[in-house]
Amino acid sequence: MTTVDRIRAMLVKDFKIAPEQLTLDARLEDLGIDSLGMADMVFNIEDAFGLNVPDTAVTLTTFGEIVQFIDDLVVAGDRAQAPRTVLPLSPVQAP
Amino acid sequence: MRRVAVTGIGVVSPLGHCPEDVFEAARAGRSGVHRLDIAGAQRLTAPLAATVRFDGAEHFEPPQLRLLDRVSQFAVVAARRAFAHAQCELTDVERERTGVFLGTGMGGTLSMDDGYQTLYGQQSNRIKPMLILQGMHNAPAAWIAIEHQLRGPTLTYSTACSSSSVAIGEAWLRLACGALDVAVAGGAEAPLSIGSLKAWEAMHTLASVDGANPATSCKPFSKNRSGMVLGEGAALLVMEPWDRAVARGAVIHGEILGYGLTTDAAHITRPSELGQAAAIHSALASAGLCPQEVDSINAHGTGTLANDSVETSAIKLVFGTRANQIPISATKAVHGHLLGAAGALECVLSLLALQHNVALPTLHLQEPDPQCDLDYCANEARPGGAGQTLLSHSFAFGGTNAVLALRAAR
Repeated sequence: MTTVDRIRAMLVKDFKIAPEQLTLDARLEDLGIDSLGMADMVFNIEDAFGLNVPDTAVTLTTFGEIVQFIDDLVVAGDRAQAPRTVLPLSPVQAP
Repeated sequence: MRRVAVTGIGVVSPLGHCPEDVFEAARAGRSGVHRLDIAGAQRLTAPLAATVRFDGAEHFEPPQLRLLDRVSQFAVVAARRAFAHAQCELTDVERERTGVFLGTGMGGTLSMDDGYQTLYGQQSNRIKPMLILQGMHNAPAAWIAIEHQLRGPTLTYSTACSSSSVAIGEAWLRLACGALDVAVAGGAEAPLSIGSLKAWEAMHTLASVDGANPATSCKPFSKNRSGMVLGEGAALLVMEPWDRAVARGAVIHGEILGYGLTTDAAHITRPSELGQAAAIHSALASAGLCPQEVDSINAHGTGTLANDSVETSAIKLVFGTRANQIPISATKAVHGHLLGAAGALECVLSLLALQHNVALPTLHLQEPDPQCDLDYCANEARPGGAGQTLLSHSFAFGGTNAVLALRAAR
């Protein structure tokens, strides 16, 4: 299974998103994934892919950008020299 | 002051999931207490609890379910049931004047326990990102407000075992004085983690297992009582001004007449007969009742040595020589102690007892105690015993005493 298929399957299961909505250019906002959902998704992706997503900020806005980002981490992990890249998280909006 | 009607009841309880089932179980004395068989139960001295048959996945989609501790799941489902029971469609304007009043003693303690298990038990730093939202005490009330778009006050009361009677009382106050037009009020509790059970056990407050029949382990007002049994669940009421309920043709399930609230200001655990009696007096005064008008009592009746004798004394202080003529029910024997949801579940049972004019039995009262010498409706329901006007007692660690005065809608 490719990264895109795995993440798509996770979002279908965890967020009840219809698979056909999960095109690479689909905006997370339009998919109903807010900052809270993003935190939840990253946690689940870490578990599923055995990754540790680094704790630095970057803004990812589409499904395709997430897939690419995770794919890069997987590849980097395979090379056993993961660069300290970025976290696809905007902070959870808190009062 | 406006009269306040109860027009909707929603329950998630060890005795069932609709008001009539809960009432019938309590009337028949079918106990919801049983041996607890969750993981780790072997570490408990007395593995007992009153649990709810409930699967959150039947009520919530996965994205929301992950945000909800069991206590919030109970509360939201009970609120749905209460609004459905009330057949109450709110307009947008009415939602501005509708409030949520929710009692809980331990909030999202199951989620917090799970988080600590990850951190300390598994020595992992992977705390789930939703833990704070699951654990916070005000989550159940907030989710009810979000689901039903209720934009009046959303308040959470945490006064241990009197939390949900306080919630109902505070809602009554706001409805009676005209500050609100509709309230959903009650309590929710989901305390059955090994961590919290061990903590209650360490205080020596929990009942030992009745070897012959574990379901009878909680024995309020019986000489051989040994403590309380923890339970879980939620009970919520839809409350509205009497005139509004009549105008919309609602079925009225009973009336909240008044509410007394006092604090012992004495000891953090030991109950005070003076504080409890003051709460009863305060409820009578707020309802405009004299003691002679009280037909029956739902006791706090936890089954602990201290509570039951002190509560008996408090009743005697208020009612004098008439105390032994008032039927008293202690239903925790069968549904367990739901802590922050106990007062609300007992308010529901009391409203139904009034509706049916049946005094509910105090089960497992096997040995009379000279220190508990009133009429507790031992082991048998008493038709005609509830009468027209009932007081429901809720007392608490911390000393917050709440008493609700209820009247039948008959």
